[in-house]
Amino acid sequence: MRTGAIDPPGVQWLRVSPKYVTVRLVEWAIGNLVVIAVLSLPLVFVLLGWWRWPPLWLAIAVPAVMLVLALWRLILIPRQVRAIGYAERDDDLLIRRGIFFQRTMVVPYGRMQYVDVSVGPVERSLGLCTLKLHTASAGTNAHLPGLPADEGARLREQLSARGEARLAGL
Amino acid sequence: MSPEDSAAVSLTDKTVDGDWKRVHPASPFVRGWVALAAVGFFFGRDAFERMLQGRDFVDPNLSGRVPWLLAGGAVVLLLTVGGFILNWYFTRYQVAEGFVRVNTGFLFKQQRQARLDRVQAIDIVQPLLARIFGLAELKFEVADAGESAVRLAYLPIDQAKQLRATILARAAGVVSEPGSSQEIPEAPEHVVLSVPPGRLLGSLLLSEQTVGILIGAAAVVSTSVVLDNTAIFLALIPGILGIGASYWSAFNKGYNFTAAISPDGIRLRYGLLDTQAQTLPPGRIQAVMVRQPPIWRIFGWYRMHVNVAGYGAAGNSEGAARTMLLPVGMKSDVLRMMSLVLPDPGVEDPESVFVAGLEGLAPAQASHTSTRADGFTTTPRRAWLLAPLGWRRNGFLATGTALLIRSGRWWRTLVMVPHQRTQSMALHQGPLARRFGVADLVLHTTAGPVMPRVFQAGVAQAVELFDQQAARARAARKRQTSEQWLAQVAPQAPEVAAAAQPGQAIQAEQPRTLKQEESHDG
Repeated sequence: MRTGAIDPPGVQWLRVSPKYVTVRLVEWAIGNLVVIAVLSLPLVFVLLGWWRWPPLWLAIAVPAVMLVLALWRLILIPRQVRAIGYAERDDDLLIRRGIFFQRTMVVPYGRMQYVDVSVGPVERSLGLCTLKLHTASAGTNAHLPGLPADEGARLREQLSARGEARLAGL
Repeated sequence: MSPEDSAAVSLTDKTVDGDWKRVHPASPFVRGWVALAAVGFFFGRDAFERMLQGRDFVDPNLSGRVPWLLAGGAVVLLLTVGGFILNWYFTRYQVAEGFVRVNTGFLFKQQRQARLDRVQAIDIVQPLLARIFGLAELKFEVADAGESAVRLAYLPIDQAKQLRATILARAAGVVSEPGSSQEIPEAPEHVVLSVPPGRLLGSLLLSEQTVGILIGAAAVVSTSVVLDNTAIFLALIPGILGIGASYWSAFNKGYNFTAAISPDGIRLRYGLLDTQAQTLPPGRIQAVMVRQPPIWRIFGWYRMHVNVAGYGAAGNSEGAARTMLLPVGMKSDVLRMMSLVLPDPGVEDPESVFVAGLEGLAPAQASHTSTRADGFTTTPRRAWLLAPLGWRRNGFLATGTALLIRSGRWWRTLVMVPHQRTQSMALHQGPLARRFGVADLVLHTTAGPVMPRVFQAGVAQAVELFDQQAARARAARKRQTSEQWLAQVAPQAPEVAAAAQPGQAIQAEQPRTLKQEESHDG
């Protein structure tokens, strides 16, 4: 996969399942369509003549702008999913994400306090899961979505075993 | 007595060292005086007002209802006092076998235990009333960034100090033969610095808050002049009271600030009416920040904050006071505190490095390398538009033991994170930063006022630092073998250290190291 300039050189990234796009699409639909539907209500009321304010152009412009933004986010989803990557190194786990705002994170195995695996309803139907790593810092926002269930389980066991072997105090 | 109590009693018989103890009998009243005062105030106010007005002590119209009122008041008072006493009776603590245990509650019982070697900080707090009675509250902090793991309120001050010494000695790995009840002496301490009250007052008067208030006052005065309306000042009275209270609280908290070093760690004492003594054992400080607001530069003052795992984010004024390592100090004080926090700075000339971090500025004429004579790697010249003021300040320097991050042209800031305390790291790069070929490096530490971030480092340097820092943190963690700081420095009791290892690996899976059990009774 394509790597950004801030990624450490020579890392073989593993990608998350392409099926995760579906999960993101469902989340997108639930989030954005509801917002746009609510924002379109004034337009309906104005067209029906129930409301005198706002003017028609405003009633059209607000949901239209939201729709454009939502479509923009929709187009980005597949690329964002492709940009999520992870790599198990000897002593730490690397996680990268983002296209415009890129982030590359390193979580040492010895720093992990616990590992979460969570599965939502959409993820379950696709056989995916989300892995979350916790360290003593609240700033460690290391979650790895869209892993195939068996890969998630393998990673969880692997990380826990390595974490125990390298564990240090705080 | 309930079954739980008999169980607790039998447990008492089994334990080898450290018997179950209660806190001081006066503590319910010291803790509950607010409630008692409220009850007294509620019933006494009416009578008091009457006395002042020269009328009968009791309202004649009420004479029929007085017995009921009195009875009600007595019941409320009895219930309150009884609750306090029961609560006191059923609260017992024990320090034994590497754990501190506290049992509380009589209806809903709670048993708590915390590992001694997981201690992050121990505070001894004396509110004014407790101080009058010679009592103190002991707070035992573990790394859960929330409420204190163990709060013992109140103990006689000598006993609190003794308990602190015992806990710290056990946590450090000092072993005494089981069964022997010899007193562990308090570690000797050596005062390193203190803050004179004059300087504290000056620092408060010259704080950012004062500038804000002056601007606000000027705005109000000019408004009232323009509108020819003096009533506007009346609306300010609550605000003025609030401002006064906040200055008073800062002065009360920071008064007589003293830092001392002892084998147990860094001791901080402060307080005018309520006094507090914090002990931070070695290696418990996760990150340090030195900060200088622009006005303080006239006098060369600095302030220092720390992240300690047990203290959590500094949400309220108490939290802010606890995470304050130095309320106001000169550069020499800062350097001295730095030497306490980081005894081995990992560079040959720590003073010049820290001074460069505090006030260093890269030369404006850029050479091609971005590493300067003072050792700090700063933002490359090509990215000066992103930080027109700060680009010559923003920089980092990795020593053998810690990462130093400096930033801010006006609000000069120096952040230090020991390598073995780094939790995880992330490189961030937005579209603008990519255009200028820079990236930010964020270090994640435990919750607190310090948020280490390297601003706008060149991409090549940032990636290099990211990689090297991961390796350095790994190496530093390997050097740190035990949470018991004596065992770490000199393994005098190898069998103890060895025995501690496997248990630790299991224990540390739980971030809270606390086992809470609640059983319902009745």
